[in-house]
Amino acid sequence: MTGKTIVITSGKGGVGKTTATANIGTALAMRGNRVVVVDTDIGLRNLDVIMGLENRIVYDLVNVIEGVCKLNQAMISDKHDYELYLIPAAQTRDKNSIEPEQLREMCVELEKEFDYVLIDCPAGIEQGFKNATSAAQEAIIVTTPEVSAIRDADRIIGLLESSGLHNPKLIINRIAPEMVKRGDMMDQKDVESLLAVEVIGLVPADEQTVVAANRGIPVVHNAKSSAGGAFMRIAARVDGEDIPLMDLEPKNGLLSRFKGMVGMSGRAYSHA
Amino acid sequence: MLETSAVQVIARGTDVAFVIDESAPFDVVAAELREHLSKKSGLWSKGDITVNVGQRMLARDELAQVKSIIETHSGLTVTRFWCSPESLGSGDFQIEAKAAPMPEPVHTVAKPEVKQAEEPIAHNQIVLPASSSEEAPLTSASSITAIESIIEGLKARHNKNGVRNRNITEALFIKSTFRSGETLEHAGDVVVLADVNPGAEIRADGDIVVLGSLKGWVHAGASGDTKAVIIALELPSARFQIAKYPGTAPASARRKSNTSASGPKIAYVRSRSIHVAPYAGRFARYNKGVPYDG
Ligand SMILES: Nc1ncnc2c1ncn2[C@@H]1O[C@H](COP(=O)(O)OP(=O)(O)OP(=O)(O)O)[C@@H](O)[C@H]1O
Ligand SMILES: [Mg+2]
Repeated sequence: MTGKTIVITSGKGGVGKTTATANIGTALAMRGNRVVVVDTDIGLRNLDVIMGLENRIVYDLVNVIEGVCKLNQAMISDKHDYELYLIPAAQTRDKNSIEPEQLREMCVELEKEFDYVLIDCPAGIEQGFKNATSAAQEAIIVTTPEVSAIRDADRIIGLLESSGLHNPKLIINRIAPEMVKRGDMMDQKDVESLLAVEVIGLVPADEQTVVAANRGIPVVHNAKSSAGGAFMRIAARVDGEDIPLMDLEPKNGLLSRFKGMVGMSGRAYSHA
Repeated sequence: MLETSAVQVIARGTDVAFVIDESAPFDVVAAELREHLSKKSGLWSKGDITVNVGQRMLARDELAQVKSIIETHSGLTVTRFWCSPESLGSGDFQIEAKAAPMPEPVHTVAKPEVKQAEEPIAHNQIVLPASSSEEAPLTSASSITAIESIIEGLKARHNKNGVRNRNITEALFIKSTFRSGETLEHAGDVVVLADVNPGAEIRADGDIVVLGSLKGWVHAGASGDTKAVIIALELPSARFQIAKYPGTAPASARRKSNTSASGPKIAYVRSRSIHVAPYAGRFARYNKGVPYDG
């Protein structure tokens, strides 16, 4: 089996990378894929908490890299009956304790056994970012519809391209449909025209996300949650399904007013 | 001579040409370029080179890759990229060599020379063997149509005073969005077929044309040419420069720039300050536009 490694990154902190990693990973596993999520936010680990696996950590990523334990000893199996594993970050070390090539090597191993390796990237553009992105073949960028997050996303897209990671996909997280309707928040089109990349998902601001995080049960488990539904659809698109983006509607959540697929060929290269 | 690889290296006098198969994907080209350079690393010494990308449309990050491949594998420094749109009319020639200034007139190639792939090589050409891979040849040898990439003015071992060939149309085309944190310096014109985002910087000795929204900082005529202009489909950028004259959008224009219904603009130098006017052609007469003096 040759799976692929996807990094989930953002530049700006707190926009929802870890939330997206946990939920897309869980949703991909629910769809029958073998999935491993890797927390590379060394020193500030979160993914284990959001997935409710904090108490089961024995070994971590740095232990694997340093050869203290075997790869599968650091893989924590999710409580459910599907194939989902977590490799947690070390909490007592820093981002410089691993090298990009080491993470790449580890992911190559994982790709042999898993359909998807998802990497939760730390915020920023320093060593942690370099580690996380050098291991991946594809990138998903998370932003919120705010100018500062978008500016950082723009920077990140440029950096990814110059390191050979082309055509990243964009998740716009924490959209408040009422605000968009009032003209107080950028909509999908605004963000798309600023960043010129393909949007793979629109996630509404949904307090259930926070409730779920506190309980350690990713929000995709909550069938009634609008954010959960959005992450399920993102996972389906990652998995190759052709699902149009939905308009996020105020009040009664999601109405299936289809918007026509977003331009995928926006960044074609004439010779490739 | 049957060529099967995407990159051929042909040395002619002091010029070295990398002939690149137009249909080869960039990855392949990059890999072979890397291979060629490292195999022949003994041939290169320190010096500056310029790279002609022909008509191949390269994204910025690809230019960066070409630059880094050449620099890490040869010790050469890539000082600029240029392309010659007019050099590639028909698809049946393979390489256009720039006439290099040669010590002895015998060697001078007066005009760009058109070569068929199968033709024998002139006495003053050295063909470095292409990679030895014995893969199936491309559809036909002559279909290796002419995307050429000439490295000219190579200050290789024997040549200390290579004079650069200047091409009138030294435009650099950039097809992808120029993003925050990215910078570019180019000795000719720069055309960006996308947006230039805030936090990006471009310096060009010639004109800068943005077929998109110019939101970053650009400097046209960077080596002093006050005749250089900046043209953009949308010009919300509040600050840019032509030659030594900085321009800052007046408060009124800054407010207006939020409504993008403004149309293409040209910025130029007039009586020592930057003016911006609706675009009416590169060489139209522009009188007083909106002064960008803050
Ligand atoms: N769609 C959403 N609706 C409401 N809250 C959200 C949503 N997405 C994320 N959040 C909340 O935002 C906070 C930050 O999310 P998260 O930790 O996933 O961000 P991050 O990008 O991983 O942050 P860091 O850069 O610190 O790693 C969390 O409290 C999370 O519950
Ligand atoms: Mg996080």
